[in-house]
Amino acid sequence: MAIWLFIYAELLAFGVFFLSYAFARAHNVELFNESQQHLNRESGAINTVVLITSSYFVVRAVAAIREGLSRQCAHWLSAAIGLGGVFLVIKLFEFHAKFSAGISLSTNTFYMFYLSLTIFHFMHVILGMVILAAVMLKARRGGYTAEHHTGVETGASYWHMVDLLWIILFPLVYVIR
Amino acid sequence: MNNIENQRSRFIRPCTRVWIALLVLTGITYGIGRMELGGAQIVMLVLVITFIKGEMVAGFFMGLRKTSLLWRAIMASWLVIVGGGIAIAYLVGLK
Repeated sequence: MAIWLFIYAELLAFGVFFLSYAFARAHNVELFNESQQHLNRESGAINTVVLITSSYFVVRAVAAIREGLSRQCAHWLSAAIGLGGVFLVIKLFEFHAKFSAGISLSTNTFYMFYLSLTIFHFMHVILGMVILAAVMLKARRGGYTAEHHTGVETGASYWHMVDLLWIILFPLVYVIR
Repeated sequence: MNNIENQRSRFIRPCTRVWIALLVLTGITYGIGRMELGGAQIVMLVLVITFIKGEMVAGFFMGLRKTSLLWRAIMASWLVIVGGGIAIAYLVGLK
């Protein structure tokens, strides 16, 4: 119950952020379209695939613990965390390219939104990975059973939220023009 | 063994199909972006695809399709408000 309140509060915050971006774009369409062309759309798409697959691995971890298979659950969680790491590395390359080109939050309105939205999401990915790592370590120690595994379900829900946010962020920032 | 088979058919297999569908829909969204397609109809298509993806993640991965109607309604409302707001903002930008 508590995790759902937390998740919905996060969704509310990101929702306001997404709509702020959309309406800021409505008043600066040419600037947003021109700036968007300099984004690495391939990186954004690959990261979408990475997060979706990572989310699927978490589904498999939940399925494993429901069968009482702690070690399998830990393995699936490790794979999901690994893909979370891939997401971060790809994003860091993107940030590095932008910062190296002299782009910052103050470059223009588009980049102010692009950088703050993606950095905000980036921090949520890190938090999600920390949560999944804590759950994975407990699963590895046999801390969950088929009957009692609320921690796994809670960590999984948070990670799916991180995935869901990127599923909206990708078309909004990288595709819509 | 029956329980395991039951859980696989009721939980894992639908989620595997959803995962594949999500990848396909992501490919379509990327293709639209790569071709730099724009305009109201294309953007509405992208938003509908995004809504479907969001509903899939919420319903199947998060398991909301098997919880109370209230939680599902909140999630669906969030997706509709955000997607609808983005659509309205896009149309405002066209004027």
